[in-house]
This record gives sequence, C-alpha cells and structure tokens, in this order.
Amino acid sequence: MQRRTVSGLLVATGSALIGGAVGLPALIAALSPAWQPATEDWRPLGPLERFPIATMTPSVIVLDHADWPRRVGEQAAFVWRPSTEEIIVYSRSCTDLGCPLEYEAKSSCFLCPCHGGIFAQDGRRLAGPPKSPMLRYANRVHQGILEIDITSLPPAT
Amino acid sequence: MLRSSSRWLVDRFGLGPIWDHLLDRNVPKDPWYHGDGMALLVLLTVLVITGVVLSMGYCPAVDEAYQSVEYISQRQILGWFVRGLHYWSGGLMVVMLFLHLCRQLLNGGYKSPREGTWLIGIFLLCIVVTTSLLGYVLRWDQRGFYGLKVLLAGLQSVPVLGERLVLLIQGGPEITSLTLSRVYALHVIILPMLLIGLVSYHVYLVILHGTTTLAERKEPIETVEEQRELYQEQAEHPVQGEAFFPTAVLKISPWSIVSLAVAMGLALTWGPRKLMAPASSASSEPVSEEWWFAWYSGLVALLPPSVAPTFQWLFPLAVFCGLMSLPFIDRSPLRGWRNRPVATVLVTLLVLAVLGLSWLRYQSPWTPRTSAEVPATPAAFELAHEAEQGRQLFRQYGCTNCHSVAGSGGSQVASDLAQLDTIYSQAELRQYILQPPQGVAMPSYAGRMSDDELGQIVAYVLVAQTFPRKQE
Repeated sequence: MQRRTVSGLLVATGSALIGGAVGLPALIAALSPAWQPATEDWRPLGPLERFPIATMTPSVIVLDHADWPRRVGEQAAFVWRPSTEEIIVYSRSCTDLGCPLEYEAKSSCFLCPCHGGIFAQDGRRLAGPPKSPMLRYANRVHQGILEIDITSLPPAT
Repeated sequence: MLRSSSRWLVDRFGLGPIWDHLLDRNVPKDPWYHGDGMALLVLLTVLVITGVVLSMGYCPAVDEAYQSVEYISQRQILGWFVRGLHYWSGGLMVVMLFLHLCRQLLNGGYKSPREGTWLIGIFLLCIVVTTSLLGYVLRWDQRGFYGLKVLLAGLQSVPVLGERLVLLIQGGPEITSLTLSRVYALHVIILPMLLIGLVSYHVYLVILHGTTTLAERKEPIETVEEQRELYQEQAEHPVQGEAFFPTAVLKISPWSIVSLAVAMGLALTWGPRKLMAPASSASSEPVSEEWWFAWYSGLVALLPPSVAPTFQWLFPLAVFCGLMSLPFIDRSPLRGWRNRPVATVLVTLLVLAVLGLSWLRYQSPWTPRTSAEVPATPAAFELAHEAEQGRQLFRQYGCTNCHSVAGSGGSQVASDLAQLDTIYSQAELRQYILQPPQGVAMPSYAGRMSDDELGQIVAYVLVAQTFPRKQE
C-alpha cells in the first residue's frame, strides 16, 4: 500500500471517529424524547352531579403551569352520560386531522370546522373524511368526582 | 494610490475568480420573464433578514410565545413591518416556488445535464413548504396550533413509523414546551441552514449547467455533449449571447422587483397576519389554514373515509417520489412547452386544480352553517298553520345547518328539500326523521322531539318538496 493511501485512510477514519463521538450523542439526545414513556395523569373534571344524564356537557381542564415540560394551558372534553351507569368523555379532536369539534345542540351533532367531518352523539362518524369514531378519554369516578386520564389518547390528538 | 489599493483588495480577498467565473461570463440570451429563480433568492434574503430580527423578539415558550408575537406586532418599533414583510414574503415564496416548478415542468428544465439541479430543487421545495407551515405554528395562536395538529395527524397516519414520528416532532407524548422548542429549532436553525446550503448548491449548478435556453427548445437534443456544444455556441454568439452581469441580471430583474414590491405593499397596507385567539384546545374560534395551503385543505375535504388516512402520508410521498424520478422517466429529447403538449396540458390542469380547490375551500360547502336563517316560503305558496310551525321547528332542530329549501336558508351539506330525487309520503318522512337510513349523515331524532313537533315538521317538508326547485 502506498504512503498516500494509508494517510488518506487515516484521515478518513479519524474524521469518522470525531464525527461519531460528537454526532452520536447529539443524535441520541435530540431523539430521546421520542422514547419517553407516557405516565398516567388523572385530572378531575368535576363532581358527577355536574354532568346530567342525556346532556352533552362541555368541560375544560385548566392545566397547572408548575411542571416541566409545560402543557398547553387548557384541554377540552365533552362528557356524555347515556345512562346512570355509563360515562363517556370524548376528546374534542376530529379523528380526521385533529381539528376542534363543536357540539351543535339543535341537531345534537359534532361538527368539524375544517373538512366537513360530522359525528353523532354516540361518537359515530356521520359525514366527511373521518374514518374512525370520536376518541374517548379513559375515565373513572373517584369519591364522586369524575376524572379523566389526559394521557390516554394517541399522541397526535 | 486608489488603484493599487483596489488591486490589493481584489487580490487578497480573492475577488478575481468570483468576477471571472460568476459575473464576467457570457450566457445565452434569456427572456425577461425567466427571473422567477432570482426572485426566490431575493425573497429568501428578505426572509433571512426579517427572520433574524423576529427571532430577537420572539420567545419559544408555550405560555409566552403568543404574547411575544403580540409585543413584536404592537409595541416593538417597526416590528409590525418586519413581521408583515416576513409573513408576506413567506407566502409569496411558496407561490413563486410553485410557478418556478411549473415553468421547469413545462420546459423540461429537469432534462440532462440539469438532473442534479432539479433533484436539489425538489428537496428545496419540501423544505420551503415545511418551513412555511412551521413558521405560522410559532405564532402559537389557534391557526398555528391547529396547523401543527394537522401536521402531526398526517404524520400519525404513516404506517409503522407514524407514532414514533409524532413523538419525535412533539418531543414526547403530548404537545408541550418541548414541542414549541423543537418547532422553533426547525424553523429558525435546522431548516434555514439546510435551505441556505442547498440553495447555494442549486445556484452553483445553475451557473455550471445554465438554464434551459431558447435554442435548446427548438430542436430535439439527444445527448449531453450536444446540449453543451449548443449552449457554448449560443453563449459566445455576438447576437444570441449576452453578458451575465449586468445585462442578463438587469433584464430578468422584473420578477424580483415585483415580488419585493408586492411583499412590501402588503406588509404596509395589511400588515402582519392578524393573530387569532391564543393556542388552546378549548377555544371556540373556527380554525383554518394559511391561504397557501387552502388547496390542500379543499382536497382532503373531498376524500371518502376509506381513502383519507392513507392519503395523508401517501400523497406527499407520491408527489416527492414522482418529482424525484421525473428526469429518469421522461427521456424524450424535446424541450420547451410548445414541443411538450402532455406536460402543457398537465401543468395547466395542475394550476386550475390548485386554484379551484382553494376556491372550494373558501366556500367550504361541506361545513354545516349553524347560523342559517329560517328558509323562505315562495310567494305562490301559503303554509297551513301546522306547516308554518314546522318551518320554524326546521331551524330550531338544526335541520337548516345542512338542508336548504329551494336554495334558501341552509347550506349545501345535505339535499335541498325542493330538489329531492323522490317525493316522500307522510309515513316515509316520519320514519326517515326518526331513523335515518344507514349511511345517511343525518342524526336520529327519535326521543328528541314530541309527536306533535314531528307532525309539524313532516307537514312542512311535505309542502316544501313541491316548491319550485329554485326561488327567484
């Protein structure tokens, strides 16, 4: 092997090592939040009496600003109790592209302002491009208070 | 003295080679309207300068970002102008880039030896479109917030990798401070760095291989050698060639001047984009995308549910792959739009589709109108008491959100009652309202209205079916 070839290889290997030593940790640090596990986070919506049966009740959770990383100030949900036993808490996100659904009480439909998604009271898709029914938060009643797990939805909603 | 010091400057700062290879060279004559590329460079420069200034006033924290944008627009001296210029230059850049792309598609600008120039250009297209979206996410108002959500929902639809991609952009399982920091890093550092690097390379390749000349468009050119020979011959020709600087630069400058003037004019008259309510998933302000994405919004609204989720990721991927492979698929030796009828038809259709879909989006006939009026009754008709009650209930129960009656009152989401294909009987209408057929986007009214009310609405619809199709 010629001297020049060896030198060239040395330079290439050295550069690759330096690049790896800096680039790899940088890449891992930048990508790491993608592997952060979601931990359950139960937040109160209010006493159960506040949510009458057969009435769609909009509800807003104000998220405290103490923790880091901070969340977006408010999260909206709709509480629907078809019967005394059953409680459904809908996410406000349209299942098409995540636009905010509005509940229209006169026709009792959820309307999407973006691309014409319409959902029924029971979360079923009625019209527009959405494929799946409305998303539901995991909920529980704890000492008479209705709570939802705000991390129970898929990440992009 | 002056002469010797200028010679010193040229020599020590290596300006000679720049002059020789970049400015003092001959190029084939180009028509004046071929300055769209240069206009993009001018807009990019404006965006970099205004962007640097904006970054000094902006705070990428979820609870402060919105206020900092308000501060820039309302209190910082000339902040409104800088933000306005940044906004309008950004929007115009997307438009100009689309025109630039169309021109290359028409003329076959991707043909040899310019394949490399084209491929870099496609990457630039992706970067510009992404940056233009992330830019308005930074405003952290409703429009920006839901722009981000739509982007994330699109990423989520990618098979296998979707969720990981969302977590990566979001910086965790939810939209948090980390999300905004990441969007900031992308819009302000990562993408502009890539953009400036690749633009420089693109321009270098344009200087090296030139642009598609008029002579190249006259006859078929089979080989690279043939093209190079023709190009050189044209460049050196006393009539068909000209000096790049200042002759050609000056001639192709109208696009740049117009772009800059339009951006400045819009910034001065309309100012920066008006902020919507601060980002929140609880606000009731209706959201929409920025105008340069309206066509895409119109397009996805037309999709049936069976296609929609696949389309979100397949469409951008297909456009990217299609454009990247174009120079290798289209091997015909013909250049210039006159010799390429297929390309000309397709590009015309593309432009029409973009304009048509944008127009459709601003009409949004698929969105129910909750503020609709009680539908009017044609003059020739007089409603009985029961039917008149029904007409009032028609709005009260939200029927007018979707139905219009002889073109009056509602929107176009569902059938106009005066334009139904079949005339329904009283019993059929009762059944329909209580239990709409499967697959019909109408909510069931069973248990929600009294029998009297149902009777009144049915009485109204029975008459409305017989109205003339369209009221004068």
